[in-house]
This record gives sequence, C-alpha cells and structure tokens, in this order.
Amino acid sequence: MTYYFKNVYIKDKYSLLASTKYNPIVKNNVNEVLDDYYMGSKTIEQAEIKYQSLTINKLLNKYNNVNLLIGGDLQNQLLASTYSSSKINIPFLGIYSACSTFTQGIIIASMFSELYKNKVIVSVSSHNLVSEKQFRNPVEYGAIRKRVNTCTASASISTLVTNEKTNIKVEAATIGKVNITNHKDANDMGSAMAPACANTIFNHLKDTKRDINYYDLILTGDLGIYGKEIMKEYFKKISNKELHNVIDSGSIFYEDDIVYAGASGPCIIPLVLFDYIIPKKKYKKILVVGTGSLHSLVSANQKLEIPSISHAISLEVKY
Amino acid sequence: MTNEEYDKLIKKYIVEDNIIKNIIISFLSGGICGLIAQLLVDIFSLYFKIDISNAYLLTSSLFIISGSIMTGLGFFDKVLSFCKCGLLVPSTGFANSMTSSSMDYKSDGFIKGIGANMFKLTGSIIVYGIIFGIIFGYIRSMI
Repeated sequence: MTYYFKNVYIKDKYSLLASTKYNPIVKNNVNEVLDDYYMGSKTIEQAEIKYQSLTINKLLNKYNNVNLLIGGDLQNQLLASTYSSSKINIPFLGIYSACSTFTQGIIIASMFSELYKNKVIVSVSSHNLVSEKQFRNPVEYGAIRKRVNTCTASASISTLVTNEKTNIKVEAATIGKVNITNHKDANDMGSAMAPACANTIFNHLKDTKRDINYYDLILTGDLGIYGKEIMKEYFKKISNKELHNVIDSGSIFYEDDIVYAGASGPCIIPLVLFDYIIPKKKYKKILVVGTGSLHSLVSANQKLEIPSISHAISLEVKY
Repeated sequence: MTNEEYDKLIKKYIVEDNIIKNIIISFLSGGICGLIAQLLVDIFSLYFKIDISNAYLLTSSLFIISGSIMTGLGFFDKVLSFCKCGLLVPSTGFANSMTSSSMDYKSDGFIKGIGANMFKLTGSIIVYGIIFGIIFGYIRSMI
C-alpha cells in the first residue's frame, strides 16, 4: 500500500530532550534540553504530559490556524497525548503504533494535508521511567539487564505538516502489515521487529519500482544493534539484494558504551532524523522506516508471539 | 521464511551473556553476603548475649531493612545488576522487589497503589513459599 503525495511538506519541529543520560547523539541540536524526570509534577506520568504539552505549545505559538493534532505515546490509553491535547482547542486524533507512531502520524497527517490542505501537528513522546514501570519491571527493581534490552528515551517532539513549500518534502508513504513470527521474548524487540521492517522496505521498493540505490539513506527505527543485522540478512533472503546504506536510529542514539542494544521509543526516529541526519546536510533522498513492537504486558505474560509493524515514509530534502 | 529458519537467524546474531562469568560473580557475592550474615549472628550471640534463634531473626531483618533503604536511596538496582543473583536470591532481593513496587505505585494512592501493588513481584514468593512449606512439613512429619 504505497501512496504518493504531491504537496506535503514538513515545515517545522520542536524537540525536547528530557534526559541526557548515556549522552544522546542529538544533544547539541535539539531545541530544548531539560535534565528533569519530573518537571515539578508529582508523578512521572504527569511529567510526560508536560513534555508533550510544551512541544505542542511551542509550535502553536509560532503558527496559527492549525486544523488537527495527531498525538501518540507509549502509556496505556494514550494518557500523555490526550491530556496534553485537552488544554488546546484543536481537534485531536490519538494513535498507537508503539515505536512507529511517528511515521504513522506523518502518513495520516500527509493524507489530511494533501486532500484537505490542512495544517497538522504530529506529536509523540516517551518517558523512560513510565515505560519501565508499564512494560518491564519497577524502576528501582534490580532486574538483570540482558544485552538485547533497549532503553526507552525520555523525550518529546512535535512536527508541523503543511502544504507550504519547504525544504523537507514528504513524497511517498508505505503502510505496513502486522507481522508475526515465532519470536516470544518481549525483552528482545529488535528480533521481533526486523521482519516487519524488511517486509515494508521490500514492499515499498516493489510498489514504487525503485532500486535500493535510489535512496541515499534508509533510516530505520529502533531495531538495535542485533536487530539491524537480522533485518539486513532477512531482507537479503526475501529480495536477494544487499542493503548497505542503512542507519539504525536506536543503535546510534546513545554515544556512551552501555549494556543495552540501543535506544527505543517513538521519539528516537524523529529526533535522529531532524537533529542528527538533516543537520549533516549529506543525504537527499531518505526512506524513514519506523518499527513498532505491538505487544502488551498481557500478551507477554500469556506467551503470545510478538506482533510487529513498520511504516515507511520517503522524504526528499533540499539543502 | 519459515519460523525455524528465522529462529536460526536470530541465534546467529544475538550474543548470549557469559554464563560462567555470571555464575562466578554470583557465587562470590552470595558468599560474601553469607559471610557478613554469619559474622552478624556471631556478634549478636557472643557479644550481645542474644539467643541464637533471635540472632538469626535479627540478622535477616537487618538485611531486609538495609535492602529496602538502599532501594529507596536509588542505588541498590545498580549494585544488584553488578552482583547478580548473589544479592537477588537472599532476602535483600525480596526487600528490593517489594520496596521498588511500592515506590512505583505510590502515586496511585495508599489503597489502590501501595497496598495493592506492594506484593506484585514478591506475592508469588510468599504464596508458593507457604504452599511448599506446608507440603514439606507434612512429608517431614511422616518420616
């Protein structure tokens, strides 16, 4: 399912990094760095609401007549997005697609922008402690970390999608299918997401009849250091072609040498894209492939296979 | 690609943790933990003239209290992830999981938060501890 857009551009973004633990690579380029897990609120859940409100409001202060807000995060029932949208008077769509929420949001926003000439804000956020509490073990619990575990970043980013011509064009998008393999270990999300990612890249190239070399860069979501290699080999098996221009945002996000396989969360891919890849002024045609592992605590406890999804957007950047 | 082929592909890339190294670390840290406990028992019974069964009780309480306090101060999870099962299996691990759960759910209130979730991880230890305690108690009395 690939769609083409003629007139969709990403106009602006506001990014917030809420923790500088492990030295994130985007630290120097983000709009705001707050080394604060609470931001004056009593609980971590409320802090995440504040993160997202802050980024949305900074964009709203700059631009008028925004028609729609699309928000997503990792909390149950999208707590952070719904509460942060309650304070502003704009129609709201809440979406959940785990770590591929951002690409899904951009695809929906592009549809609205193309068809109805709307101005749409896409906002995502994640909080390390909230994810630890919800998906893994209590924060202070001394669980033995495996090398395949990923570390959720604490951050939020809002982007504005419009019809006005800018240097970042959303040119095409491929909506992925839910993929299930026999993999059941919820600690290792990279292995669960790798086939979904490879399938989406394969389908995108097939639909658009493009060669892999058409893209200067394929930026994947948060597969981690092992997931990236698995994805490459999986792609080789289904298409007989080698992927060589791949950067995985999750694996490069933390500069410090840590015990984890990389970073995860819906904010990783937009942060790396807007605050690391685009400022480098090197890549012109970028395929952004968000990957999400759609398991929950219930599915993990019931030992179900992990469903995963991946959506791709093709960007054309002019410098 | 079939599921079996994919399992093979995953195994090819994922590096397992070094089990031997983990076992040695756990053996040493658990041993040091036991040594400290035995020293405490000896000190209590020899110098403070406390009854030996009470000295054991006091020592395990001290371990639980210190585990909880260290968890509350926020560095016990780092110590645990270094010492591995050497500190996780003794009562310090029990204290850590209990305190960390109640800290997490403090924001949900006393009844639905702390009360309901304090034994989220340790509840199974208590339940199966009691069940197997009864079973082995019966077996022992029969012998």
